[in-house]
Amino acid sequence: MHRRDFLKIMGVASSSTLMTSCDLEKQSEKLIPYLLPPEEEIIPGQSIYYNTTCTECPACCGVSVKDREKVYNNMRGRYPVKLEGIPGHPVNDGTLCIRGQASLTRLYHPDRIKKPKLRDSKGNFIDIDWSNAYSQILDALRESNNGGYKNIYLSGRTTGSLSDLIDDFCKRTGIERAAEFEVYSHSAIKEANGILFSKREIPLYQIDKADYLLTIGADILETFISPVSNAVRLSHAKRKSDFKWFHIEPHVSLTGFQACEKFTINPGTEVYLLDFLLKNMLNMKLYKKRLPEEVVKYIPDFSQEEVSSKTGLKLASLYQIADQFKKAKMPLLIAGGISTRHSYGLETAVLTGLIQWITGMTDSVIDFSRAENYSGVGTMVQMEKLSNRLSNNEIGVIFIARTDPSKSIPVSYFFKENIKKAKLRIGLSDLLTGTIKECDIILPLSHTFESWGDANPRSGLKTLIQPALEPLFKTLSEGDILLHLLKGDLKDLPFRNFQEYLFKKWNENYGKALTEEFLKKGYYEESVPKKEIRLDNKSAVAFLKNIKTLDRIAKPVLVVTPSIRSFDGRSSVLPLLNEIPDPLTTISYGQWVSVPPKTAKSLMLSDGDEVEISAPGLSARLPVKVQPGLPEDTFAIHPEMLSTQVFQADKRSGEGVCYLDKIKIIKTGASVSIPVLSGSMSQKGRGIVPNPVNKKREYDRGWNNMYPEHKHKDYRWAMAVDLELCIACSACVAACYIENNVPVVGKRHHLMGLEMSWLRVEPFFNGHGKCNFVLMLCQHCDYAPCEPVCPVFASYHNPEGLNIQLYNRCVGTRYCSNNCPYKVRRFNWFDSQWPEPLDRMLNPDISVRTKGVMEKCTFCVQRIREAHDTAKDESRKIRDQEVVTACAQTCPTNAIVFGNILDKKSQVYKLAHSERVYRIFEPLGTEPSVYYLRKKGDKNES
Amino acid sequence: MKKHIIPIILLGYFGLLFLLLIGLETYWYLYEKPQSQPIAFSHQIHVLKMTLPCDLCHMYATKSISAGIPSVSKCMDCHRAIATDKPEIKKILKYWQNRKPIPWVRIHSLPDFVYFSHKRHLKMGIDCSECHGDVKAMATIRKVRSLKMGWCITCHKSRSAPTDCLTCHK
Repeated sequence: MHRRDFLKIMGVASSSTLMTSCDLEKQSEKLIPYLLPPEEEIIPGQSIYYNTTCTECPACCGVSVKDREKVYNNMRGRYPVKLEGIPGHPVNDGTLCIRGQASLTRLYHPDRIKKPKLRDSKGNFIDIDWSNAYSQILDALRESNNGGYKNIYLSGRTTGSLSDLIDDFCKRTGIERAAEFEVYSHSAIKEANGILFSKREIPLYQIDKADYLLTIGADILETFISPVSNAVRLSHAKRKSDFKWFHIEPHVSLTGFQACEKFTINPGTEVYLLDFLLKNMLNMKLYKKRLPEEVVKYIPDFSQEEVSSKTGLKLASLYQIADQFKKAKMPLLIAGGISTRHSYGLETAVLTGLIQWITGMTDSVIDFSRAENYSGVGTMVQMEKLSNRLSNNEIGVIFIARTDPSKSIPVSYFFKENIKKAKLRIGLSDLLTGTIKECDIILPLSHTFESWGDANPRSGLKTLIQPALEPLFKTLSEGDILLHLLKGDLKDLPFRNFQEYLFKKWNENYGKALTEEFLKKGYYEESVPKKEIRLDNKSAVAFLKNIKTLDRIAKPVLVVTPSIRSFDGRSSVLPLLNEIPDPLTTISYGQWVSVPPKTAKSLMLSDGDEVEISAPGLSARLPVKVQPGLPEDTFAIHPEMLSTQVFQADKRSGEGVCYLDKIKIIKTGASVSIPVLSGSMSQKGRGIVPNPVNKKREYDRGWNNMYPEHKHKDYRWAMAVDLELCIACSACVAACYIENNVPVVGKRHHLMGLEMSWLRVEPFFNGHGKCNFVLMLCQHCDYAPCEPVCPVFASYHNPEGLNIQLYNRCVGTRYCSNNCPYKVRRFNWFDSQWPEPLDRMLNPDISVRTKGVMEKCTFCVQRIREAHDTAKDESRKIRDQEVVTACAQTCPTNAIVFGNILDKKSQVYKLAHSERVYRIFEPLGTEPSVYYLRKKGDKNES
Repeated sequence: MKKHIIPIILLGYFGLLFLLLIGLETYWYLYEKPQSQPIAFSHQIHVLKMTLPCDLCHMYATKSISAGIPSVSKCMDCHRAIATDKPEIKKILKYWQNRKPIPWVRIHSLPDFVYFSHKRHLKMGIDCSECHGDVKAMATIRKVRSLKMGWCITCHKSRSAPTDCLTCHK
C-alpha cells in the first residue's frame, strides 16, 4: 500500500470514529411533578415506611416496607425498595429471614400474571377483563348449582378477616370450603396434642426461656412453624451462659449444625429414643407431674440395648441426652418436622407430648394459650378425599387460591388428573405455578404489599396488611375479588371494597383508638387467659395400647428435607433465592441430590455425576453433591427438585410422608454441571476459623508501610460477627442483594465462576461431623492489599476507615481483586439486567454499577451518609447503633454488630475486645475492620 | 507560488474562523440553548414581580435532598383565579383536567452516581443563586453553572467542606 493511501484510510477511519463518539442526540430529561401534593408527613427524597405483614410463608412476620419516590411512565409514584422487620414485633422483633427479604422480588416478579386470563377452546390463555371474568364465574356457579354439583374453595393457610370473608362468601354462594392445604401442616403434633390434652393445637415454643433445648427432627431455624421467631428466641437463650442445645435428626440440616451437639438417628426410630427418655425420667423420678399408673403400664418396653441398636445412637450418647434433663432447670423438648413426617410420626409426637407434660414444660415453656393458628389447616387425608370427589365428578366449580398442591401431595392421589374433571377451575394466584396452569380462569392476585388485610398468626396476635404501593398491574386482592363476586348476587352490600370491609370490622372489634394504634404499629397483641393442660388418661392409654413393634425405614432412604431457600418449594420461583446459594452445599441454581461421602465412595460418585434414583412410583435423574456429615445410605433432596415431595400419607395423623425407602441409586455415567460456589468444603488448615484463638495479637508483618498511616478523627467503622450466634441462615445475604442493587446474574454465569454477592456464607466441614460457617464480606482492612495496586486510585481508604471502591474512577484492571486475600471483590463483566418491573426495586441511594467496574461491600455507606445527615441536623455525633447495615439489621440472632470502634462505649468496641475475638488471616497484617467471635467451647482444629 | 501565499493564508484564517463559529453555534444550539418548556413559565414574573419566595413552590429544599417541583394542584391553587385568560395558563388547566402531570424539561440535572442534598447546602447558608444563578431575572430557566465535579470541588475547597469522594459519589 502507498503511504498516501494509508494516510487517507487512517484519516477517514479516525474522523469517522470521532464522529460516532460524539453523541449528538441530547436526552432531554423530564421533571415530573406530582398531580396532588403528597401527605404532609411524606417528604420526597426521604424513605417512607409502611408496617405490614410478610406472607412468603405462613409465619406472618411483621415487615416494614421502605418506600421511595420514583418516576415511571411519566407518573410519580412510591415503590418499595427494601423490607425490614418491625422492631418489637412479637413474632420477628425487627428481623427477617432470607425468604422474607427476597419476597420483594415476588412483588416485582417479571412473570407476574398481569390480567385475568381465560382458557380458550384451543387450550391457550387469553387476556380478559375483570367484569367478563366475574360474569363467567357467576354463570358457572349458577349452572353448577342447578346441575346438583358441589363447589369447592381450596386455599393455602388463611387467617384473619380474609378467612371470615371466605366463609361468608362460601355460605352465601353455596360453595363448600375445603380444609386449607399446607404441606407443613404439623398435623402429627396437632393430633398428638388432641389425643393427650384434648387440644388439637400447635403450641408456642418459648425457646428463649429454656436452658436445655432438645430438638428432634424439628428444623427450628429453617421452616419449623415460625423460623424467624425461633431464631430470635434462640439467640436470647444462647446469651445465657448455661444454655445447652442438642439436636437429633436422620440427615444433616442447617439447624443441626448450629446445635451444641448433633446426633444422627436412624430414620423413623425416634419413638425408641423418646421411649428411652421417658422411662429414664420415670425411673430417675425426674418429673414434676406424676404419670398415672394406667398410662405408665402401657408405655412400650424396650431394653436400652434395643433402643441403641434400633436408633443407631451409642449408649453413651443416649445417656448424655437423658442426663441433661437432670441438670436443666427449664428443659424444652421439641419433636417435629422430618421426625413426624413418617408412619410413626404420631407415636413420636405422642411420646414427646407425654415427656412435655410430666416435666412440666406444658406449664412453662410450651404455651397453649398462645397457640399457633393452624385450626383451618387440613391434612393429606383430606386432600385424598377431595381428589376422590373430583374423580367421581362430584365437583362443579373449584377455586384454588394461593396454593399449589399438585407437586406436594402423593402422586397416587392423581390430583393433577382429577382436577381436570371439575367443570370449572378458577385459580387465584400471582404466578403461573403448577396447579394454577391447570385452571380455566386465572384471577391475578395483588401482592400483600399492594393489598389491605390482616392476619392472625396465633391466639392473641393480629397483624396488619396494608398497601405500600398502587397495584403494578390490573390485579386485585382476594378480598376484593370475593366482594365483587358477592355484589353480583347482593346489590345491598354495605362496603365498596375490602378496605372498607376491614375498617368497619376493626372499628367494631377494637374501637377507634385501638384501630389507629393498630394501623400505626402494624400489629395488635392482647393478653390471653392461661390454659390449663390436663392429660386425658383414657385417650392416652387407648393410643399407647396400640403401639406395635415398629418397622424400620429401610436404607438406602431418600429424605425430602425442607429448604431454607424454598420453604416447601413455593419460594423457589423467586430469582433471588436461586441466586443465593444453599448454605450447606453452596449450590445456587438447579437441582441436585445430596449423597453421603461413604456411599459416594462406594458408588464412585463425585460432585456433578448424574444418578438415577428409582423406587416404586418415582424415577428421577439428578446430579450428585457429596454432602459431608450425611449418614450412610441416606440421600437428601429439597422439595422443589422432585415431581412430588410427599410419597404417601399417614392415615392417622394425616401427615405427609417424606421418606422413600429401599430406593435404588445407579450411576448413569453422565455428568451435569452444578454451580457449587464454594471453592472448598474444608478450611485446608488455613485457619479461617482458628482454634484455639491465637492470643498473639501483634504480628510482625515483615514489610513496611510506604504510605502515611491512616488517621481517623471521629469515626472508624467496624463490624463484629459473633459466630456463636450466627446460624448461617443467609438472611443477611438476601438483605445485602436488595439494599445494594447487587445484580442477579443467573446460572450460566455462576457456572463460569462469576458471582456478584458482596456477602456470602462459607461452610467449612471439619471431618468430625461439625461445620463452621463464616460470613465473608469486604474486611475493610486498614492496610488493604487492594489499595496500593490500583493504578487509578479507585480503591482508596477514607478518613472514616472505610475501604472504598470508586466506580467512576475504576478502569477495570482487576488488580485489586487479584490482590485481595479474602476474595470479596466482584467484577462487572456485563451490564446488569433488571427486567421490568424489577428495576423499580433499585435503591436510589446507591448507583447501579456499569460494565467494566469492580464492586464490593461498602459497609452500607448510604446508611452511614444518612446518619451523618441526621446527626448534622441535630449538631451532634452519630450515636451508637444509629447506623445499622442491611445485614446487621435483618439478622434474626443479632450476630452482626456494626459501629464506630473509636467510641469505647459502643457495642462493636466491646465485642472487638472480647476473649473470643479473632480476625481472619491476621498474620498477613492487613488489619481488617471485621472482627469475628469464635464459637464458645469450640475445640476443633482449623 | 509566492503571490498566492497571502490569499491562501487569509482564506485559511477566515475559513478556520468560520468552521469554529459553526462549531460553537452547533454546541450552543445543542447544549446551551434554553430548552423549550411545555408551558412558558417565567420565574421573572413569579419571583421578581410577584416577590414569591423560592420555597413557596420548591417546598422541600430545606427538608430533603431534592428541592421538589410544585404539584399541578399547587399551580392551580393560584391560577384558578389569576390570569385565567392567558393561553399559557389555559395549558395548566388542560393538564389539570386531564389529570396529567406537566412534563417539565429538566435543566439542572446531576448524574445518577452523585449524591447531592439541597437541605445540607441551604443549612450551610448557601444561597440558591450560587448554583442556579439569578433565577429571578430569567424569563426562561437555563443553566448558568456547569454543575461539573471540578466546579463543585472548587467551592468545597474554598469553604473547607469535605472533599472525600464518598461525600458526593454513591
